[in-house]
Amino acid sequence: MLIQKEMKLADVLHHDHNLVPVINRFDIHLGFGEATIEEICEDKKINREFFLTILNAYHDHQYFPKKHLQSFPASSLVNYLSKSHRYYLNEKVPEIESYIDDLKENKDLNTETYLLLKNFFGQYKTELTQHIEREENLVYPYVGQLEKYIEKGIVDRSFLEEMEAYSITKYEEEHDDVEAKLYDLKNIIIKYLPSTGNDSSYYKVLRELFMLENDLNDHSRIEDHILVPKVEAMEFTIKNMRTNDA
Amino acid sequence: MPERLSVILIEGSYLLQSGIQSLLSEFPGMRVTAIFDGSEKHLAEKVLAKKPDVLIIDPNTANLELLSFLREIDANNGMQVIGLISNETPDNVVSRFPHVLNFFECKYDLLESLKAILGKRILSAGKSTNNQNLSEREKTILTEIVLGLTNQEIADKLFLSIHTVTTHRKNLTNKLGIKTVSGLTVYALINKLVDIHDIEHK
Repeated sequence: MLIQKEMKLADVLHHDHNLVPVINRFDIHLGFGEATIEEICEDKKINREFFLTILNAYHDHQYFPKKHLQSFPASSLVNYLSKSHRYYLNEKVPEIESYIDDLKENKDLNTETYLLLKNFFGQYKTELTQHIEREENLVYPYVGQLEKYIEKGIVDRSFLEEMEAYSITKYEEEHDDVEAKLYDLKNIIIKYLPSTGNDSSYYKVLRELFMLENDLNDHSRIEDHILVPKVEAMEFTIKNMRTNDA
Repeated sequence: MPERLSVILIEGSYLLQSGIQSLLSEFPGMRVTAIFDGSEKHLAEKVLAKKPDVLIIDPNTANLELLSFLREIDANNGMQVIGLISNETPDNVVSRFPHVLNFFECKYDLLESLKAILGKRILSAGKSTNNQNLSEREKTILTEIVLGLTNQEIADKLFLSIHTVTTHRKNLTNKLGIKTVSGLTVYALINKLVDIHDIEHK
């Protein structure tokens, strides 16, 4: 289903309730009654094209926005991506940690195994945090600079050189290593934990891990298909701009 | 862990993208890892970075500089390049590709052509490897990995070539479905292949 501006947001959520955290990142919260997407965007001063692009990209894995990329500023995209980072680190990860803590209550599981899992997830958390920090400290400010120069219409030569050294294309290659740990953790829980006859506490952890993995996949799809092409187009514009030798 | 074949698709048409994906889903081990519409900058670089097993290209994709693209990805390592052609595709385009699929063929023929191109790999993909249990040698190597030794150090210690160690390492990772050293560590501890004190003192 292609999500369009005339639709009621309530109908969209009936169709795909996984979009609730997504609309939250736009500061939209449940309780909007019969309002359409168009009305909500107007009311909340949200860039409609951008909102629709994000909803569709999450909802339909094959969605390629192509021509709509120009209709919103890169800064809103970066702002959105940072908010979803906060969601992973401040909500999802602690949630999973608390489910892992609940494994303690399972009398059949020995403390040693419980600690192994806890520790392993701790390592994963550290890596995820580092990965996110690198994006926020390196990539996002870079996008902000590109936007600033495009607005000014003139670019410093020193920045051009910097741009040659670090292009967004490189960044694409950097971000698929954190996934391996998450994959391993799922496999260990499914295949190698000692059988205890009571899977409900395992299942809770597992369900959350699959959900987090899904979220992160959606997130990197948005980076690959929306952020990267948009930034590449900006880099291209800047390369053809007047330079300021200062 | 079942072997997987990763596929990259270069296809500008949404209808053809969906059609090809539906066709590939007939093989449980094939997975489309990325779709490009041909307009991307540095396309060859992006494709190569993802190291796909199979690359399917529609030469009719608008905005695609086919010749220079094929030249850039030419130095491929084990990547199968398949051109998506029709009855009308000129011979000089067809001959650019090591393999082709004709999208006017019926489903059965398309699947047979894919099997012919990808051979055994496509059939073993998606099926679990036989004999999931680790051999004694693999267990020894797993233990050394967990204790923090590099491939070279393991090779020296066990009087093996580094190539043999790498192969064992790859096999045991595939069997267990665990890729990271910390994941292997958890496995080894649960199965009492190593003692927690050995790891703490490494």
